[in-house]
Amino acid sequence: MSQHNMIEVKDLHKWFARLHVLRGVSLSIQEGEVVVIAGASGSGKSTLLRCINGLEKIQSGQITVDNISIHASKTNLNKVRQRIGIVFQSYNLFPHMTVLRNITIGPMKVKGMMSTRANERAMNLLKRIGIAEKAQAYPDQLSGGQRQRVAILRALAMEPKVMLFDEPTSALDPEMISEVLDLMRELAKEKMTMIVVSHEMGFAREVADRIAFMADGQIVEIAPPQEFFSHPKDERTRSFIEKVLAV
Amino acid sequence: MTPDLKLEVTGQPREYRALKLALRVLLVSALMAITLAIIYWVLSQNYPFRWRPALQHLDAFNKGLVLTLQVSAVAMILGAALGLLVALARLSPLFFLRDMGTLYVHSLRNIPFLVFILFMYFGVAPAFQSGAAVDLFGWHIDGRLFWGILALSLFEASFISEIFRAGIQSIHPTQMEAARSLGMNYFRAMRYVVLPQAFRVVIPPLTGELIALVKESALLMVISLPELTLTARQQGSQLPFQFEFYTILAAYYLAITLPLAGLSYLLERKFKIGGREEVS
Amino acid sequence: MDRTSTDWSRQARSAFWFVLRLGISGILLLGAVFLIFWGLGSHYTFHWAEALQFDYLMTFFIGLKVTLQLSVLGAILAILLGIFVALARLSPWGSMRDFAGVYVHTFRNLPFLVVALLFYYGLGKAISLHSFQFAGQTFRPEFIWGVLALGVYESSYLGETFRAGIQSVHKEQVEAARSLGMNYVQVMRYVVLPQAFRVILPPMTSTLIALVKESSLLFLIGVQELTNAARQLAIPTRRPYYFEFYTILACFYLAIVVPLSILSHWLEGRLGASRALKEAAHP
Repeated sequence: MSQHNMIEVKDLHKWFARLHVLRGVSLSIQEGEVVVIAGASGSGKSTLLRCINGLEKIQSGQITVDNISIHASKTNLNKVRQRIGIVFQSYNLFPHMTVLRNITIGPMKVKGMMSTRANERAMNLLKRIGIAEKAQAYPDQLSGGQRQRVAILRALAMEPKVMLFDEPTSALDPEMISEVLDLMRELAKEKMTMIVVSHEMGFAREVADRIAFMADGQIVEIAPPQEFFSHPKDERTRSFIEKVLAV
Repeated sequence: MTPDLKLEVTGQPREYRALKLALRVLLVSALMAITLAIIYWVLSQNYPFRWRPALQHLDAFNKGLVLTLQVSAVAMILGAALGLLVALARLSPLFFLRDMGTLYVHSLRNIPFLVFILFMYFGVAPAFQSGAAVDLFGWHIDGRLFWGILALSLFEASFISEIFRAGIQSIHPTQMEAARSLGMNYFRAMRYVVLPQAFRVVIPPLTGELIALVKESALLMVISLPELTLTARQQGSQLPFQFEFYTILAAYYLAITLPLAGLSYLLERKFKIGGREEVS
Repeated sequence: MDRTSTDWSRQARSAFWFVLRLGISGILLLGAVFLIFWGLGSHYTFHWAEALQFDYLMTFFIGLKVTLQLSVLGAILAILLGIFVALARLSPWGSMRDFAGVYVHTFRNLPFLVVALLFYYGLGKAISLHSFQFAGQTFRPEFIWGVLALGVYESSYLGETFRAGIQSVHKEQVEAARSLGMNYVQVMRYVVLPQAFRVILPPMTSTLIALVKESSLLFLIGVQELTNAARQLAIPTRRPYYFEFYTILACFYLAIVVPLSILSHWLEGRLGASRALKEAAHP
């Protein structure tokens, strides 16, 4: 067994006060696998990601990442989160820090890395996406696409085993979407384990190992792209695909 | 994340929320009561509280209260009128009117009211040879009352004018343009279009300013105007219940200002929604 | 080179016009005040030369020193108490929040004078403090009560300022920091407080200005501060220069408060820039 389940979600239930948002979600993701989650807004996709990262408490069920139970009381969440990178729709870069500092703050303060080494690694990452000259700029001086790519680098700098993407391109202008997707595509090629909540079905078809469709707080369908698009089993998936393809 | 309304709502009824609120109020009241009781007990080891005799002087306090309310009301009206004039001066196209308004506002805002009232009553009033009574167009007013109200109105006008100015500026310039395009002159456009809209915006902060004014009126005791604070002080200097008297004094002020604070909060919430409609 | 020199001369020219404009307007304002003064039939003769004697000015400066001491000590106490109030107002326990809320709303809605009187004549009767010497200076009970009253009163304002500042930092910023594995202290230290600080600073300066102004009331409980100096100097029989002394007094307060005001204004301008930063991070 060279491959083991990197992320394991078992019968997850989540309430927001009176709202039953996740209703028995189960999902296993192997190391190196890329899963794209689609679904209407309010279907619980983002909440699922936030639960995996421990940003939300859960009411029942179990989540393990790399064999560590996220919501167990003995788990040190701050430790586990170092292995789970998350990228938000609204970037959430720290506005009072330079691009370089945004990327190095985690490794330096959380992992205790020396600043020279952290800076060097951050510069290498910035060179990789071709904006090394923006290292001393502040987030408001970057374009949306650049900001989101810096946000991805900030997560990558922690050397995570898993990357979660919460609608990373939804807030972007159309011409900037591709530069973000390209970076994600590269990560997928390097066998990063990824869960991507996205409406970019072209990207999903090309990069995803499996596509999951969520509705009413449940995963109603999960299948490899070929099967997902050609033989959807559930009625809701079918109408979703029709709408997407019509556009 | 926007919760989907179609999802099942396992509801807690409205009564449950009311119960929770009642419990919260009860809890904090109990906590306050316990804290105050402890403080009271500690203090009473050194100071014999005599509430019963102290509370027999409420008549005097009520008299002071009436004067405080009267002074505050008159000063608020005068201050608002003057404040509006200053605000219009600060927004006028004539630079010297603007600057005079600015100088007026900033020189008063940056000195303590106490200094201003001392200046007005002991500095300016004698220069007018104003005696115990001021003769205002054949109408005799107590000198302390006249100078006290004048000082309070002049001082508050500097704060109120800033509220009016912000209110007028919050009305989009297109409103002025639209009114001018109908052929109204500057004053008509102000009178019929801008000011009525600005009025809604300024009401909540004006209520807040009224609270500040009531609080400032306490300083009129230094010119021996027998309002609430001076009443407490005079009673206290004659009788040995100073602690009790000042506690009663604080309760009187809270009885005026807390309802106003609540009103200000409610108005702010109400007008915020109205304001948002206007922006779109 | 050429561009900078034209920039400089433009700045010099605009500064010149500004001063000229201020001068004209100032003279007009003073003129208006004097017109009212004489128009209403005043027969007051000024005694500026007598009032501005060195000895008298020294009295003011001694009072100024006490006012500054009151303000600085009061401000430190207010900031410390304000931090506690803000923490209580942000605590996860509902009754703790409500309790702090009662504290805040009680003091905010009282005149400072009433609080000062209550502290000195009320609490002062039950808890007797003694004068003490520090750095060659005697601090009397009324001074200590004055500082306590200032600190407690202004902490009700500062507590709300601090709370609003911390709450102004978006929830997403905290989540982003937590997702990097930062603990509570690190999140506060590196992400929340630096951003909150910019929001807090301008209203905090305004509160400190208010504190300096409120400290003038403490002469009523016998503190020998700035306002007291003017009260002592103006005597009906020997030095009836009330107008002059109170004008000088006002100038002293302006000299403390106006620089603070300008600082607050300047900080607010810079805050505008940082607000743009914040919006840039949250489309």
